[in-house]
Amino acid sequence: MYQPWTVKHKPKSLKEVVGNKEAIQKLVEWVKSWNWGPPPKRAAFIYGPPGVGKTVTVEALANDFNMELIEKNASDYRTEENVKRFAGLASQYGSLFGKKRIILFDELDGLTGTADKGGVKAVTEIVKVAQCPIVLIANNAYDPRFSFLRNYCLLIEFKKPAVNEVLSRLKAICLKEDIQAEESALSFIARRSEGDIRSAVIDLQALSQGKKKLTYDDVAWLGYRDRQENIFTVLKMIMYGKTCDGAKRAASMADVDADMLFEWIYENVPNHFKDPHDLARAMDALSLADVYRGRIRRSQDWSFTRYVVDLMTAGVAMARAGSKPSGWTPFHFPARVQMLSRSKEERSLQLEIGHKIKRKCHISAIRASKEIIPYLQIIFKNNPKMAAGIAKWLDLTPEMIEYLAENKERAEEIKALIGG
Amino acid sequence: MSFEMWAEKYRPKTLDDMVNQKEIVERLKSFVKAKNVPHCIFAGPPGTGKTTAALCLARDLYGENYRDYIMELNASDERGIDVVRETVKTFARVKAIGEIPFKIMILDEADNMTADAQQALRRTMERYTETCRFILCANYSGKIIEPIQSRCAPFRFTHLPRDEHDKYLQYIAKREGLTLLEDGLDAIFEVCGGDLRRAINTLQAAASLGKPIDSKVVYSIAGRANPADVQKMIETAMKGNFIEARKQLREMIQKYGVAGSDIIRQIHTEIFRLEIPELWKIKLAEIVGEIDYRLVEGSDEEIQLSALLARLVEAAYEIKNARMV
Repeated sequence: MYQPWTVKHKPKSLKEVVGNKEAIQKLVEWVKSWNWGPPPKRAAFIYGPPGVGKTVTVEALANDFNMELIEKNASDYRTEENVKRFAGLASQYGSLFGKKRIILFDELDGLTGTADKGGVKAVTEIVKVAQCPIVLIANNAYDPRFSFLRNYCLLIEFKKPAVNEVLSRLKAICLKEDIQAEESALSFIARRSEGDIRSAVIDLQALSQGKKKLTYDDVAWLGYRDRQENIFTVLKMIMYGKTCDGAKRAASMADVDADMLFEWIYENVPNHFKDPHDLARAMDALSLADVYRGRIRRSQDWSFTRYVVDLMTAGVAMARAGSKPSGWTPFHFPARVQMLSRSKEERSLQLEIGHKIKRKCHISAIRASKEIIPYLQIIFKNNPKMAAGIAKWLDLTPEMIEYLAENKERAEEIKALIGG
Repeated sequence: MSFEMWAEKYRPKTLDDMVNQKEIVERLKSFVKAKNVPHCIFAGPPGTGKTTAALCLARDLYGENYRDYIMELNASDERGIDVVRETVKTFARVKAIGEIPFKIMILDEADNMTADAQQALRRTMERYTETCRFILCANYSGKIIEPIQSRCAPFRFTHLPRDEHDKYLQYIAKREGLTLLEDGLDAIFEVCGGDLRRAINTLQAAASLGKPIDSKVVYSIAGRANPADVQKMIETAMKGNFIEARKQLREMIQKYGVAGSDIIRQIHTEIFRLEIPELWKIKLAEIVGEIDYRLVEGSDEEIQLSALLARLVEAAYEIKNARMV
């Protein structure tokens, strides 16, 4: 039976909720404080971007504390009248069955305009006199409509969880679904989600439906397909932009992250800047943007990102003086990114050899696979005796020997020498 | 001839064995004498003895069983934050038994650690200073976040000088019974530029051909080990073909793992050999210097070097136009 993983793998307990540990702690303390009667703030107002686990947290909380959760979302309280009907529910802490009660008004920013007239006011009235904990959820608590309501609420901000937190959640789901996923594939999904766990889980399900294995290739291509249209428009606005503002605005329209946009620009600049002076200027802007990326990495001060964006967009746009747009030149997917997903089998064998070298040679497997293997190939092709010695010393498998010798007969010769 | 990897076989075992980096070795010896080691950063190009120095220091400090007191982690292979959280922490917090109260964690290729792993590392370094000292090896110290840099004693490793390089290779040649000719040595130095690991690997690959090692043999090896060489790449750029030159650059970096610092050093050498007006040579040298500085600051090698290629394309274009006038 088809079941969305967002439902199937919904956290049952606060322990399973991804990220926002401090915010959750604040919420828990507040709920506990109800044991000594209504606290000064009778409602908790959780706010933050979509998909970061606001609703899930409240549900898990009710579960952990064995409370009865009464959930109302925007469709239930369109008007003042509708909201007032819930007032009775909020007038007592214990429910009929002896369970304590918690009321959740979700999607509060769904109350819009005249149709919901008085909705917020009615919620405020309930909160003021509530006898049980009320939780309000919205994307933006600082919406002017909530200014009066806010006074009666404990404000709790939910932030986007870090990429690695999203990643570990995806890993846990793959484990349960018995899917073998490459780390790079999952981290791609996690990065793309930009902290929206819900969308990350939806993506994961869509991409791995009916599969037992999920590779980077599966993800990279499917993931970008629906985004290509957008990226081409953005690239055109940047590379042929006439003003700094226009080029910068294009960057904010892109639905790839800044690093990926950088790769797109870097890949395509040479095809669109034919004049050597323009090309040199554009590449210099990218070089400087990259210098700022280094500075960010080192200082961990992300506010420098604005200079990266300035240089890679406006810097590139303003580089154009001599080159005229020469008809239709297509944009290409960044080859650097593509290279990473190509010839995977070969790379994985190289890496395995790298690991063998690493065990003996104090060098990383990755580095060994690039730096040492070419020399080994020369030795294996020319000197079976030395090759056999090294193969034995490194404990290489027959497959590895064949790869290094690049020739079956030579490989057999080497293997025979090892045996004898 | 012995049949293992010579670069490993001839790796110095103790600080006394180390032929180069004299000042660094002296300071490290003083640590051994005091039986105390601060957190360190060993920065410098590949093949200059960073890992070797760390291992020698450990052996001199703890004796033959030094392996029990150190852990070697390679950040390129295990660069995530989880490694810092788990492996590094587990190692760091357990006290060492014996005369010396701390263990040593060698973090190789530390400039490949992710930024958040570095942040986690910084806290681990602080919390477990009593029980564990860290030696971070890196090509560019600029890629290490500042809070870590400020907690470490910096050591800057430089390429081996020519005479030390020659002496070491001749020593190996003698032990392995090879005929290593003078112009063969020249060629190895030119190709590897003082990267001793690469030099020894080149020597071994050359030896596998079973002929006396002269420049011809070395170049044929080097040509096969880095098929897209720097000279060819510069030629391509000077002909105005930026896209092809960038492709060659990408191949060198991604496929053959040539370090950016080595590529730029070779570009610098090549520039003065180009047939262009003298004034342009110095102009280009300045551009190379600027890009080199950006690299040292810790930026992306391919991006920086391809920006340099674009400048070469531009220069060739201007030179050509000037000649036509």
